[in-house]
Amino acid sequence: MRPDGITNTEMSHDVTVKPDGGRAGARSCAAAAERSARRSRGRRMKTMPASWKLLLLPTLLLMTSCGRTDTKTLDPTQTPPASVPPLADLKREVVLKSENVTENIELRQLVRLFLECSLTADQNKLPNMTAFWSRDGQEIPDSRLTVALEKEQYGIQRLFNITSEEKVGTYSCVFENKVRADFVLATPRFREKRDKPVVSYVHDFVVLPCKMEGSENESLTWLWFKGNETHKERISAQPDRFEIRSQNLTSRLKLINLTFADAGFYYCAAVYAVGSTMNPIKLKVITFWEPLKPFIAILIAVVLLVVVIFLCEKQQSKKKVTEGNEENVDQNNIKLQEEEKGAEEGSSMRHRKV
Amino acid sequence: MSNLKQKAEGKSDGEDSPDGGWGWVLVVAMFVSMSLVFGLMRSLGIFFMEFVQYFEESAQAISWISSIGLAAQQFFSPLSAALCNAFNARAVVMTGGFLAGLGLILASQATCLVHLYLTMGLISGLGWGLIFTPMVATVIANFSHRRTLALGLGFSSIGLSSFAFNPLFQLLVETYAWRGALLILGGLSLNIVPCGALIRPQPRPKALQKESKSTLSCSDVLRRFSSYLELSLLLERPYITYTLGVSLFNVGYFVPYFHLVAHSRQAGFSQYQAAFVVSAAGATDICGRVVSGWFSDLGHFRLIHLLSFWTLLVGLFIMLLPVSSLTGSYAALVVISLLYGFCSGALTSLVFAVVPKIVGVQRTMGALGLLQLIESSAGLLGTPLSGFLKDITGNYVASFLVAGSFLLLGSFTLATLPHFFSCTDPPLPVTDKSDSLPPELQQMSSLSTDANNQTDEPER
Repeated sequence: MRPDGITNTEMSHDVTVKPDGGRAGARSCAAAAERSARRSRGRRMKTMPASWKLLLLPTLLLMTSCGRTDTKTLDPTQTPPASVPPLADLKREVVLKSENVTENIELRQLVRLFLECSLTADQNKLPNMTAFWSRDGQEIPDSRLTVALEKEQYGIQRLFNITSEEKVGTYSCVFENKVRADFVLATPRFREKRDKPVVSYVHDFVVLPCKMEGSENESLTWLWFKGNETHKERISAQPDRFEIRSQNLTSRLKLINLTFADAGFYYCAAVYAVGSTMNPIKLKVITFWEPLKPFIAILIAVVLLVVVIFLCEKQQSKKKVTEGNEENVDQNNIKLQEEEKGAEEGSSMRHRKV
Repeated sequence: MSNLKQKAEGKSDGEDSPDGGWGWVLVVAMFVSMSLVFGLMRSLGIFFMEFVQYFEESAQAISWISSIGLAAQQFFSPLSAALCNAFNARAVVMTGGFLAGLGLILASQATCLVHLYLTMGLISGLGWGLIFTPMVATVIANFSHRRTLALGLGFSSIGLSSFAFNPLFQLLVETYAWRGALLILGGLSLNIVPCGALIRPQPRPKALQKESKSTLSCSDVLRRFSSYLELSLLLERPYITYTLGVSLFNVGYFVPYFHLVAHSRQAGFSQYQAAFVVSAAGATDICGRVVSGWFSDLGHFRLIHLLSFWTLLVGLFIMLLPVSSLTGSYAALVVISLLYGFCSGALTSLVFAVVPKIVGVQRTMGALGLLQLIESSAGLLGTPLSGFLKDITGNYVASFLVAGSFLLLGSFTLATLPHFFSCTDPPLPVTDKSDSLPPELQQMSSLSTDANNQTDEPER
């Protein structure tokens, strides 16, 4: 008796599947596989374990033939269904004791989020503890569970599919003794926050940069806005006013030929699949007269200093000349006095000699 | 008559002047001009971030600006010495201040990177070159007893101003953007002009005027040119030995400036800790300049011996820097950096004070110019070499060891100077160069050589 004899009849039933049914074909394949597996399991009770391999073979054949029928029944003119990007897996665990814990999770892409909370048992060591999950403060329906004490901990896990921007929020696990752990989901924040405004001049150009932390080969979409907290206007590249250059993790907005109207707040937004983050940059536009004022003040001070120094020097040199004249007069006087003295001495000596 | 003449000379040789009075005014002028030249050069890094963003060029292309400026300052030093010998120091310094300010003012209008190279690099560099040599030579000529202290005080401005200029430049850039900040810096640099005006010119001697009247033949021009540049110094063994020693210092001296922060970060310390180490070294650098200046002038030791001592210590501490950080102890790194800063400051104020002891005050101007040029070309070698060693070995230990060894080598070179091991300064070579002296140095030198002769004996 061949096990695949029965499956062949099952297969012949599946060949008549509808043309649009790639998925339908798969479903009926899966159902057929399940049925054959159940029958094989039933037979297994009577036959020896060595027949496992024989069981695997028909199920494999079933799967592969199902695949072939799928391709046969697909209409070539039909577009294949859009492939959903594979969700990455992200797991976070938190161990709770007696205080609430907040965990920040940075999301850059759509994820399947495994969250696990473990509450360490206190001295009561109750055998059971109820806990539930909440999202943004509201309890998620059908999430309340009774958890048994295992290795001194009460553990609760849940899988969340973060598949769109609306699903981003704060997820919390709450235990009945009011201890909770909050998982705050958010798009990455900008590290460098510039609190001083960027200054530039009328008729000049200015470059406003935005940089996001991340891995090297990550490619982001960037958007720029102008406005304030409440009202923001999207900036599109206009050849004589704006120029946007974005490359992976950095983006630059270049404003050409500035006027006073260009002053204000600009926002760069890094767009992720799970949302976007904004960074405000303030632009201030001034004329060249602003720095010219202190410059002229310094210039005047320098010229005054030089004039004062030269004048003082002229005065001192005049003094020296007059002093020099006086000194010469003094020297002449002393010369005369010495000569007179010498003459006197000479005459006194002559007197003595005589 | 002879009594009066001796009285007049005695008045000038004593403690009052040239060692006091107007000399201290010149020290203030040197303080201000050095801070506006080197302190400004050191703090230009703040502008580079703005330039990278505005001109969208690489950081390396932007860093060429300060390289060109520094190279121009050092290359034009002999030219400024020659101009001082031909004309007078006051005119040269005032022109230099004007050019330095002009370069920065023109740079504020730059629309491409090449404009910055030409204005901030070349014009300002030329101006800075015209300022340094005459200022230092004038202060040297105006002091004999307290020369090293005066120089130390003058050079301490560099360290102090780089502390003060960093926040000031930051404020200027935040308020006025880089264009306005450069304009204001140009105005500040113009303050060097009154500093130059403080240098008192001496009346030109008649011999010089006679020479300029006669017709100049080619050989005459060449002779005068080489005498202005003091090229004959290149044939003298003491000067060559000294220049070689200082060049070897220069190879290793700047390595910690460039690499200490990166090395501290690599050793595992935070950015804040690394910055503190550098600031602490800078603070003790200032102290070292003033203290060593004061101590050297006490006259207990010969200047050349003190210089060798300080350079030995600096070389030693540079070699110890990576060792102390490798042990992982932050305290050890800070202590060695403080000691390194102090000794390197002490070394700086002595390097230029020794020059007149070797060549005489008359030729100090030209000697300084040539020294600047030769030592700077050696300095160009130091940083790329240390960078290369770091790239090969992966850390800075080899760079620091090699830098320290260059300093040790330099101090051993100094030991080969003639009369090194004697306890008194050797007699200066007598030269028949009275007709080509710079006017203001001529008068001062005749006074200070007498003072030198008087100070030589007590120096034991």
